[in-house]
Amino acid sequence: MIDQRTVASESGTAQPLLSVRDLKVTFPSEAGRVDAVRGVSFDLHRGRTLGIVGESGSGKSVTSMALMGLLPDYASVSGHATLGEDNLLELDDKQLSKVRGRQMGMIFQDPLSSLTPIFSIGSQIVEALQIHQNLSSAAAWKRAVELLDLVGIPNPDRRAKGFPHEFSGGMRQRAVIAMAIANDPDLIIADEPTTALDVTVQAQILDVLKTAQRETGAAVIMITHDLGVVAGSADDVVVMYAGRSVERAPVDQLFAAPRMPYTIGLMGAIPRLDSSGRDALVPVPGTPPLLVDLADACPFADRCPVVEDACREAEPPLSPVGGAEAETTAAAHLTACRRSAEISDGAIDGATVYPVPERRVTENALSSGEERRTVLELSGVTKTFPLTKGGLLKRRVGTVFAVNGIDLTIHEGETLGLVGESGCGKTTTLLEIMGLRPPEQGRIAIRGRDVAELRRKQDISEVRRDIQMVFQDPMGSLDPRMTVFDILAEPLRAVGERDKKKIAAQVAELMDLVGLDPEHHERFPAAFSGGQRQRIGIARALATRPKLLILDEPVSALDVSVQAGVINLLNDLKAELGLSYLFVAHDLSVVRHISDRVAVMYLGRIVETGSTDAVFNKPRHPYTRALLSAIPLPDPVAERTRERILLKGDLPSPTDDRPGCGFITRCPLHLTLSDPQKEQCRGVTPRLTERGRQDHRDACHFADTFTTADS
Amino acid sequence: MLRYIARKAVGWFLMIVLATNLTYFLANAFLKPASNYTALRPPRTPAQINHSLALYNLNPNTPVLDRWWHWMSGIVLHFDWGRSPTGGSVNDQVAYRILVSGQLVLGSTILAIVFGVALGVYTASRQYKFSDRAWQGLSVLSFNTPSAVAALAVVLGAIALNQALGTTLLPVAGAQNPDVSGFWGVFASRFTHAILPTISLTFISYAGYHLLQRSLLLDHINSDYVRTARAKGLTRQQAIYRHGLRTSIIPVATQVAFAMPALFTGAVITETVFAWHGMGEYFVKTISTNDVHGAVAVAAFGALMTAIGAILADVVIVALDPRIRVS
Repeated sequence: MIDQRTVASESGTAQPLLSVRDLKVTFPSEAGRVDAVRGVSFDLHRGRTLGIVGESGSGKSVTSMALMGLLPDYASVSGHATLGEDNLLELDDKQLSKVRGRQMGMIFQDPLSSLTPIFSIGSQIVEALQIHQNLSSAAAWKRAVELLDLVGIPNPDRRAKGFPHEFSGGMRQRAVIAMAIANDPDLIIADEPTTALDVTVQAQILDVLKTAQRETGAAVIMITHDLGVVAGSADDVVVMYAGRSVERAPVDQLFAAPRMPYTIGLMGAIPRLDSSGRDALVPVPGTPPLLVDLADACPFADRCPVVEDACREAEPPLSPVGGAEAETTAAAHLTACRRSAEISDGAIDGATVYPVPERRVTENALSSGEERRTVLELSGVTKTFPLTKGGLLKRRVGTVFAVNGIDLTIHEGETLGLVGESGCGKTTTLLEIMGLRPPEQGRIAIRGRDVAELRRKQDISEVRRDIQMVFQDPMGSLDPRMTVFDILAEPLRAVGERDKKKIAAQVAELMDLVGLDPEHHERFPAAFSGGQRQRIGIARALATRPKLLILDEPVSALDVSVQAGVINLLNDLKAELGLSYLFVAHDLSVVRHISDRVAVMYLGRIVETGSTDAVFNKPRHPYTRALLSAIPLPDPVAERTRERILLKGDLPSPTDDRPGCGFITRCPLHLTLSDPQKEQCRGVTPRLTERGRQDHRDACHFADTFTTADS
Repeated sequence: MLRYIARKAVGWFLMIVLATNLTYFLANAFLKPASNYTALRPPRTPAQINHSLALYNLNPNTPVLDRWWHWMSGIVLHFDWGRSPTGGSVNDQVAYRILVSGQLVLGSTILAIVFGVALGVYTASRQYKFSDRAWQGLSVLSFNTPSAVAALAVVLGAIALNQALGTTLLPVAGAQNPDVSGFWGVFASRFTHAILPTISLTFISYAGYHLLQRSLLLDHINSDYVRTARAKGLTRQQAIYRHGLRTSIIPVATQVAFAMPALFTGAVITETVFAWHGMGEYFVKTISTNDVHGAVAVAAFGALMTAIGAILADVVIVALDPRIRVS
């Protein structure tokens, strides 16, 4: 920390490494010229990290691509971006290729697709080295292995010969980082480097990035939509909206005292992992403007709660908050808002900028869980997949225990959050429930009816009515060739409604219920934004008046400002209709906000379950603890003082059902145990046990030792 | 890998045996070798005809299973594929014609692939520019040109050229001059004779590779890993060649391998126009002359080429794509 501060004070006088002035990027499109980036300026000093935050379409990725010269030919770029002596924007592809990879390294969002599938990892790093350095193949290979070691790939000697498909997502991202830092660049651009990864892996990768920055002394541009990631890694932050930077400040200042209504809105819209508050989130109304033919006005005006007439007359420039004299200091706080000076602490004239919407309270929320009727009950449910080998005659060579004997209970009006890394069996569990077939082992009961007893088609469709699903991808889960009316009428017809008038009335009611204008029922899904489409998906699920909604990552594809609205909607619907939810998400903050109880899954087993506050405040299983500590908080001060439990490695594959705890391979607690205790972990499968506190169970032999040693 | 190929080869061998035997029975059911004798003057009695056919194991009065056994043992014991109804050896015909066809097809196949793939790469990296559209237009045209038209156009052009020069620079008929001798003489003669048919065959077949390679490469040009390669410091062209092309050429290689059998027996029209006596012409001739054994041999040859193509395709894919593992 102290080091960073010294750098910060020096940087005020030194020549910046990268200086971007008035960067503009436009694309031609059928609707007209799209102004994707409209005049972005910033300076970046050596060793510093600049966070660029914004929602999708705000121009943050385009900015980085423009700097790297990776935009398609038809994009037109203007402005200045000085790195060393060159204006990057004026170099042609050949000249830029000498800068790319040597002075600038880049890390991309999706590690699964950013490595060439047919070349080995090692040879791809060797290529990066040999493009810029005159190295012999042997020397380059040796250096590549060193780099892989540096980014934390175990057995780098052997792994360098491996191909990308043999690496997990996190390991591939490490390889991409190794490639980006191969030639000791001055600048590393990381474009959403952890968005596609699980939280525990995200924590590892952010750590590797810090190592890489320390080793190379490079400046980093960290592009992300996750305010938590920015809070933990950036020194300065630029908030982008509609192709412009609307606020720029050092990280502490920005998070402590945001001055631009959009930034305030973004921060208010995210649920907090570190607070048990259940107040409604504050969504930012509306959607970002289309970047075609923008009027000369503040682009945020239509969504801004404190808009004035003057805001619509001219677009405010990015200017220092405290007047001109503040500009010279290193800690300048700039905003593009006419009313910034009036705003402090999220309030204007004493009133909060965003009024907190009221939250409807469930009538039966106060009665305790045990007395209410159970809606869904799973006991000992197991699902296995055969591992086969051979082409024509397949032999079974093993079994994947995707779900391995789990118990879940959901009561009426209750939300159960199911969390875990990808591959832990969450989706398989959902599919088992939705399949309405008796599971391989165990029992599934919906509203007291065992699915094994459902024989007749009629029985099945009766139960199917009670249980509906909302999918992750609002784009993919709606048929683009059906109007909203057809989409919503389909489930009604499926359950036997024939009266056209009734259907029309119900469709209108459903649309109204989820906050859509019933007038729009003739429109196609393409006419709606992502958040609105997810609302259509929810309305479709509600059409049959179900008792239980299964929500598979319902908000993960949405931008934060929109996500808040959908979460509020789900909360309201639950209160209004007495619904129960099974909520699957990888974003623990969202789960904490919406769930009454949570279950943490690891390798097909539930390792900890209990009331949300109990699990989040006093996690007992080492995996839960690691999972919680991996999540970045949108609070730079807390981020700096927090102690992280970094898990090593990736989720192993659940290919056998040997006794013993599945978490041993990564468990930090296991390492500290004595030999007989370790023996117990290996030999005896821990069962979910209640310890003292009611309704909080964990599956760890030594959770007690952990808790006492800790406190 | 070798074990895998051996296993595949055994499988394909069984397939060829099955296909060939099936064709044998079909051919015996539908082809009437006796018709070769009915038009002869003075007319022969059916007994005479059957007697002649019996010499070549084609007598319709012998039970078909007996004929089959005779035919089969000839192949297994002496690799003798039988005789035509007029007594010509199928082995001699096929051996000669494979060489002629190979000479005709090999050059044009290689040229078509090289030219097609190169054009695909060139036009894909210039998508929607003038050169892309112009080449694509030409390829669509050539794709739709019937081979007879292409062959005759080439012939007409060559004749005009020869007349203008006053000497036969490019011979338009036959596979070689009958009156040349010596290795180099024959080689030169065959080479000059092959030029025109090769041009016409290349013209009608390159477009498939061009359009396929172009669309495959376009899928890859905008992929994340080509972008990563550029971020490492390759220029756009280098990134496309080194990273995009290798990945996108795999399906093209498969297509080439499977196109081999069709090429060998499918160049009928070109062979006819240029008066080459290759497998394509033999294919048509055996059927029109009710040559049971010849037709079966062509079928067996086609099956063999398919097998070789399929195994080659497997080898090529395994060599190019490390994600594919054989077991």
